[in-house]
Amino acid sequence: MSSARAQPAPPAVERPRMDADIVCVGFGPATAGFLTTLSKQLVNADGTPAVESRVAPGLPPQVLCYERADDTGFGVSGVVTKARALRASLPGLDQAGIPMAAPVGEEKVLYLLDPVGASRRSTLMRLADEAIHAFKWALPFERDALNLPWTPGFLHKHGGMVFSMGQFMQWAGAQVQSTGTVQIWPGTPVAQALVEGLKVTGVRLLDQGVDKQGAPAEGFTPGMDIRAALTVVGDGPVGPVGRQLDELFGLPEKNHARDWAVGMKFVVDLPEDTPLKPGTVLHTFGYPEPEIFGFLYVHPDRVASLGIFVPSWFDSPVRTAYRYLQHWMQHPYLWRYLQGGKLRSWGAKTLGESGRRGEPHLAGNGYARIGEGSGTTNVLTGSGVDEAWASGTQLAEAVLELLKAKKPFTKENLEATYVRRRRASWLESEARVAEKSRDGFHHGVVPGMIGMALAGLSGGRLALPGKPLRPWERIPSLEDYYSGRIPLPELRKIRDDCYARGVSAHAALMERAGWPAIPYDGRLLVSHQDALLMGGKVQAPHGYADHVAFVFPNHCRECGTKLCVEICSGQAITPGENGVPNFDREKCVHCGACLWNCTTASPQNPERSAVAFRAGTGGLHSAEN
Amino acid sequence: MSIAYQIVVCAGIVPDPLQTLEPVASPAGPALKNEMMLPAILDPWAGHALYEAANLAKNAPGSKVWLVSLGPKAKLQQVMMTVAQKVPFELVALDGPASGFTEAAEVAAVLAEAIQAIPSLDKSKLLLFGGWESASRGAGATMQMVGERLGIVDQFQGVDELKMNADGSLEILERIEGGRHQASKCSGPPALLGWATGNLPEPKNNPQVGMANMRTVMPSLQKARPVKLAGEGLKFAGVALPKQLRETRIVKDAAPDDIANEIVEWIKK
Amino acid sequence: METILVLAHPEAGGSLAKSAREALHAAVTLHKTLAGSKLVVGLVGDDVQAAADSIAACPAAKYFGVSGADFSQARYATDAAAAEAVCKAAQATIVVAPATSRWNRVLPGVAQRLGGRADTHVTGLAATGGAVTVNRWYYRQRMEATLQRPQRPWFILVDPGAQPACECGGGAAVVEPVAVQLPDACRRTTVLGVREPAADAQTIRPDAQLLFVTGAGWTKKQADGQTHVPEADKLIRGFLKASRASLGSSKSLVDIGGEGQAVLPFLSHLNQVGQTGATPRHPKGLSTCCHGEEPHTVGWRFINERRAISLDPNCGWARGKADVLYVADAFKVIAKVNELLAK
Repeated sequence: MSSARAQPAPPAVERPRMDADIVCVGFGPATAGFLTTLSKQLVNADGTPAVESRVAPGLPPQVLCYERADDTGFGVSGVVTKARALRASLPGLDQAGIPMAAPVGEEKVLYLLDPVGASRRSTLMRLADEAIHAFKWALPFERDALNLPWTPGFLHKHGGMVFSMGQFMQWAGAQVQSTGTVQIWPGTPVAQALVEGLKVTGVRLLDQGVDKQGAPAEGFTPGMDIRAALTVVGDGPVGPVGRQLDELFGLPEKNHARDWAVGMKFVVDLPEDTPLKPGTVLHTFGYPEPEIFGFLYVHPDRVASLGIFVPSWFDSPVRTAYRYLQHWMQHPYLWRYLQGGKLRSWGAKTLGESGRRGEPHLAGNGYARIGEGSGTTNVLTGSGVDEAWASGTQLAEAVLELLKAKKPFTKENLEATYVRRRRASWLESEARVAEKSRDGFHHGVVPGMIGMALAGLSGGRLALPGKPLRPWERIPSLEDYYSGRIPLPELRKIRDDCYARGVSAHAALMERAGWPAIPYDGRLLVSHQDALLMGGKVQAPHGYADHVAFVFPNHCRECGTKLCVEICSGQAITPGENGVPNFDREKCVHCGACLWNCTTASPQNPERSAVAFRAGTGGLHSAEN
Repeated sequence: MSIAYQIVVCAGIVPDPLQTLEPVASPAGPALKNEMMLPAILDPWAGHALYEAANLAKNAPGSKVWLVSLGPKAKLQQVMMTVAQKVPFELVALDGPASGFTEAAEVAAVLAEAIQAIPSLDKSKLLLFGGWESASRGAGATMQMVGERLGIVDQFQGVDELKMNADGSLEILERIEGGRHQASKCSGPPALLGWATGNLPEPKNNPQVGMANMRTVMPSLQKARPVKLAGEGLKFAGVALPKQLRETRIVKDAAPDDIANEIVEWIKK
Repeated sequence: METILVLAHPEAGGSLAKSAREALHAAVTLHKTLAGSKLVVGLVGDDVQAAADSIAACPAAKYFGVSGADFSQARYATDAAAAEAVCKAAQATIVVAPATSRWNRVLPGVAQRLGGRADTHVTGLAATGGAVTVNRWYYRQRMEATLQRPQRPWFILVDPGAQPACECGGGAAVVEPVAVQLPDACRRTTVLGVREPAADAQTIRPDAQLLFVTGAGWTKKQADGQTHVPEADKLIRGFLKASRASLGSSKSLVDIGGEGQAVLPFLSHLNQVGQTGATPRHPKGLSTCCHGEEPHTVGWRFINERRAISLDPNCGWARGKADVLYVADAFKVIAKVNELLAK
């Protein structure tokens, strides 16, 4: 059984080795929850170890965490939460002490109509829009938006808070490390888990001083092997180690991870005279395309986080996020608040939208999965941070139990302690409610919304059925998608012309299909590349291999659509020679959208695409995500 | 003759240069907006000094490197997690402001005191390194003042190269006007070097180095002495962002030849 | 009642550099606007008489000099001792000096010795309401501050090019020699000489009218999908030769040189503008193949007229950082420019 899916077979080199008790992959909210709980109980009040290390006798357990991003605050993005698990772990948590935090105040859900006329709406939706227009005098209708007078309880975040994940993670990381029992190393991606037979024995760090293909070059430094009795995998929904284990051990029967979304977000300075108060939470749907959900959360000091989610059931062969985000911002209802504002920073990430059904094996011999990569994101309530944190604390409690009882980290023991706790918690009960809630979207947006409402209100007992297709199965061809809108010869010319110039085609196609040009102002509406420079430039250190690879180039040659090019959050993937795309590491923000935005299945596994997304360095450098 | 040097590197922390920086007024004087939120890095020139120190220590067996750094404790810890994986050093941390608006003289006093407190400090082996300027205050004054306080009168600024000779003397290249260097020879420590960029590449991350450094980094941060800088007497009448916006004329769709003509005319004016 | 001391060192050959005259001008202006102040001049070097004579017509009340072989070289220990002695002899309360590499090296240390303070890279100096006020930049030329201080002596190092040069004439100056005690410890360092690239390989020309900045775009793949580094090399060298411009670079292009990638061999870290590089002063600057990001453009603070050539119409130069942005292929434009300049 090959453990090399996450990396091409490395050259046979002498690798240095280090031994630890516990090694964590990724420092996101899940691992933060894990380490916060764990670190508090490793040392007694008098300084003696509460539990003894196996690799360093006489000392507390040696706990190491390796984070890919250049700093602990850079690799995450997330913003509004009920914060139940967070507050349980951090009872003294003072919102005033966390930058950009505010208690949730006014919440609104808005249905955005289409003021531009280019959005693709079903007949049902058009009828609804006409009805709304006809009765707008009687409805809470304002600037082409309907403020839903009633929103289901499951969407509310009342009692929660709005904050900056990046800032919170920096704070949490500092707290954890100040206990002296844990080290969190940023800028250190884990290439793969070390596996012997059916047991995970540690991790291997990424090789440095290699060329684009990963072959040794100047200053070659092989990635170190860190051996540990327990490997905690919290590397997110697109993390390479998680995906390696999924390849190796498979998912539990009937589980699959086919639903995704890419979330793209701006942090903005609102105009000085803004009427929006801190803690305001707006959720939108309907525009720029019905499948695209939006959000706007207001922090203190006139700062707002806002953005959209572009899901895998938005079946466009040129789907993209940045351009749609710009159109969304200009919707009259939102633009009234945003016009005159200034862009501070930008970011993007993939969300695992399969929820409970996308769960991998939560534990195995020598490893456990926590966080979004273990299916914690609740797609009904649209929340993930608190859930990820909760899974981390549950694992920590389990680990402490096993350490104190001197029991090994076997699959059985971890299931009896960690998985049992997880299944007994609100994490499980709420995940079950959410489990089928999104299935309706596979039939369309209106069925999707109805399905969500049904599931939410019935506690998960009712849902609109739909069979999630694999992402690559759903994408129509360019010709089919624009059939009746753009004449075929013109369509092909636009596409060929763009790809010959090495740029994506969605902007030209969208404009041809009726979307207005973006009126750049250099402050809020800026070019895609300019956004990568704001709030801390997207960058990548030299000496590492390309972490996105097109491993079946023959398929790329045949692919007429280049969805990967269109969706890439940083424009890091561009059309290349012979149809095989080019990848520029220095623009990649590691959102992972490419891996599920490919129209071709991997010949080796129909659940995977032809795009490989591996461990890599660099990415966002924003302190505010 | 190979000396086992004691190389003490003074390094401040500064905001990551790719962030947007704005001044704000505070009761204590001007400050950077959201300074505690901005990601911080080790001052770039001081970082070069640190890598040069480690390189020298590697080639002079028995040598040791200390890193003396003043900054808010939480920010120092954050910066250490990226720096500590690069080269081996022992951290001497001081918990205080890292703002560029602090007084070089006051910072120098605090640094000098901390250096003098290093156990078994031996001036005959001492090389004091730092950046020739910081990316915050940008004065290029602090190191000289530290050197004076320690009685070091062999000082070099804008250093790009340091060579050890067999007889223990040091050959140093300093940047001077016109893109040139001045070459000097110093008979040996004690000496002070304010580095420019030198020629070494940034070292790769090494987890073992990181682990080893943590043995001193964490305790040093925990024990870091709180430092207050009064900024006595200094009075800022104002700090402002430049009103820099020019009305850019954008020339598109013009033939290269026409553009070339325009440029040549402008150059010749 | 301030005593303003202008501290300068002659160049090899005995004359004063322009930067010294700029400091002198600033000090003279200050003296004229600061009621009751006294102006004196101090010179340190091998032989200072010629330098003193060259500015003898300025309104300085006295000239002090430290001369001798020990002071012919730019060396901390001896320069500091000399400056200290002159300051004491002159009883200076304010010391205005050009921010040359020689003075930048020592004067902050001398301030420490005398219990005073030093402010460096000063771009403006004036008397406002009877108090001396200086301007200097913070955070790599991102923000400008105006400050005052009570501590004395106050060393003010004036950035070359920031002030006009004093045009006062020469004459015969009476230089009062100042004795300096030099213990042996001051001679542990010897200056060996100056290292510089061969004349035609020198790309840094501080007196050039034009700064030519190259960005990483020169080495990236062009429209035909290939890189054209040898051609870039030729075009850039050609332009420098034809225009006598000074060469600057973005950090990314200089860094590429260190990574084993196709490189422009005449570029080094010394050419870097912005970030950990320089902030040179030239009347004109032309940027090519560079995106115009803030950490680089802060290095352009003191370039007056700015133009840029970039293929990206939305780059940083487009929005307020340049006077003119030519959205064009720099390879084509510079080739033609070189042709025209050669005529």
